[in-house]
Amino acid sequence: MSGWKLTLKAAPRLRVDLRSVSPAAFAEFDGVAVGRHVVHHGNEAVALGDLFAIAPGVDGELRLEGDLSKLDRIGWQLAGGTIRIDGDAGDYLGAGMSAGEIVASGSAGMLAACEMSGGRLEIGGDAGDFAASALPGSMDGMRGGTLLVRGNAGQRFGDRMRRGTALVFGDAGDFVASRMVAGTIAVAGRIGAHPAYGMRRGTLLAAGPAPALPPTFVGNTVDIGVFWQLLSRDLARHGGAFAALPKRRVQRHLGDLAAGGKGELLFVA
Amino acid sequence: MELNGITIDDSFAEAFPMKGTRLIVTAHDMTWARHAAVATTGFATSVIACGCEAGIERELSPDETPDGRPGISILIFSMSGKELAKQVEKRVGQCVLTCPTTAVYAGLLEGDPIPLGKNLRFFGDGWQASKMIGGQRYWRVPVMDGEFVAQETTWVTTKAVGGGNLLLLATDTAAALHAAEVAVAAMKALPNVIMPFPGGVVRSGSKVGSKYPTLGASTNDAYCPSLREVAKKSDLSPDIGSVMEIVIDGLTDADVAAAMRAGLKAAIALGVGSGLKRIGAGNYGGKLGPFLYHLHKLVPGAAA
Repeated sequence: MSGWKLTLKAAPRLRVDLRSVSPAAFAEFDGVAVGRHVVHHGNEAVALGDLFAIAPGVDGELRLEGDLSKLDRIGWQLAGGTIRIDGDAGDYLGAGMSAGEIVASGSAGMLAACEMSGGRLEIGGDAGDFAASALPGSMDGMRGGTLLVRGNAGQRFGDRMRRGTALVFGDAGDFVASRMVAGTIAVAGRIGAHPAYGMRRGTLLAAGPAPALPPTFVGNTVDIGVFWQLLSRDLARHGGAFAALPKRRVQRHLGDLAAGGKGELLFVA
Repeated sequence: MELNGITIDDSFAEAFPMKGTRLIVTAHDMTWARHAAVATTGFATSVIACGCEAGIERELSPDETPDGRPGISILIFSMSGKELAKQVEKRVGQCVLTCPTTAVYAGLLEGDPIPLGKNLRFFGDGWQASKMIGGQRYWRVPVMDGEFVAQETTWVTTKAVGGGNLLLLATDTAAALHAAEVAVAAMKALPNVIMPFPGGVVRSGSKVGSKYPTLGASTNDAYCPSLREVAKKSDLSPDIGSVMEIVIDGLTDADVAAAMRAGLKAAIALGVGSGLKRIGAGNYGGKLGPFLYHLHKLVPGAAA
């Protein structure tokens, strides 16, 4: 096993597709093979060595440096190993990943963590629209693993999400948890319009200011203290605004009644 | 061997492999956790007719439980994983699910998985909800006091040992009972073991076989004081008026040995003046179980 550090030489003109760049595949390569590895820049094939300065890195780890906001599909279907990104990432960051870890210091484009099924993805900055959601035409969004967004999330965060845990430390845009099938979404900051629209099951936790209760949700006064301690203690591990959750009281609302009403929207007091 | 005037038989306890699991039951307060735990471990003295052997391991403070409430850890042992799964489902379904405010969690996280809340969830009639938290699946079942939360799975160890034992031979019933109570109290302080009989003590020790062909076990006539003068063979000297047995089940071989060591130490400390004359152990000549616990190796001061 060996690791690599790839530093972007200059921002590419067109978008670059990095789906074939994985820590596992590159661990077997020598420096020459890494440099010759072909990726697509627009519709043109280019060698990785033309885009990046390549140096050996930490074992089992792939480190990417520079403004990678035009580089899409980093960590596409990642099944193991670690990718560290020093800078922003493009669209589809960690899409379809099933194991391993991706840590990006900057922001991510659209569709980050979409259809993610396992592992851990941490975005230091903001996540664009449709993070933790489904690929166009697909029935299920994020279906496992843990997504942490340290900044704000765009619209439709967790659309059609089915399983896993997705945390937003900042604000979330409109339609967070729309059409959610199951899983857990927690937002520490403000929540945009129409939260949990069409939610079937699952949990949307507003750990910050409570949004207006959507008309298709209904309050429920039952004591869910046991479940709340299990959930809040797990979320508290991630720190930040979530650390104090176990000590706070929770208020439960059921919905979306237009879609079965088996989901829950939790406010904390 | 004689310690504090008490004769320690040159004998050994013979134990056999079992499958075991630990469950954590929590509730609104310790009273209700105990109600659930006592019911769950009821009628579980011997696998001969109960299907399992179960007992309370210890009480758990709120900072030791997954949901921050008081709880009790219980151990359940069976001869097979299949029977254990059946017993866990029946007992948790009838005694924990039914008990106000309780929740139930796995107390072992490695070994072979068996259902805990996995099948009980269907009590929810479609209203049950599952939740993955920290890599574990939990079920939330709506019940009349709120919701019953149960971890989906618990895990079974195949390294468990059942049938460790001590025989306490004393001048009379009061002395035998006192010695047994003291020994059980010392064993209860240890983790990973239970003493499944009432109060940890059994007075109807058995031998293998019977004059009646349908019975696999019958009274241990060699240790019945009432038969000393008439039985073909009695192991009791004239000064013994009462015998009590303590049976120990543990999650590992070492746990059972540690419990026997603690029980021996506590009983021997009583001295012969207490009326405790002799300590023995039950065995089947070494034919039944692969685990043998020699008393002389477990008494205080013995080389470990």
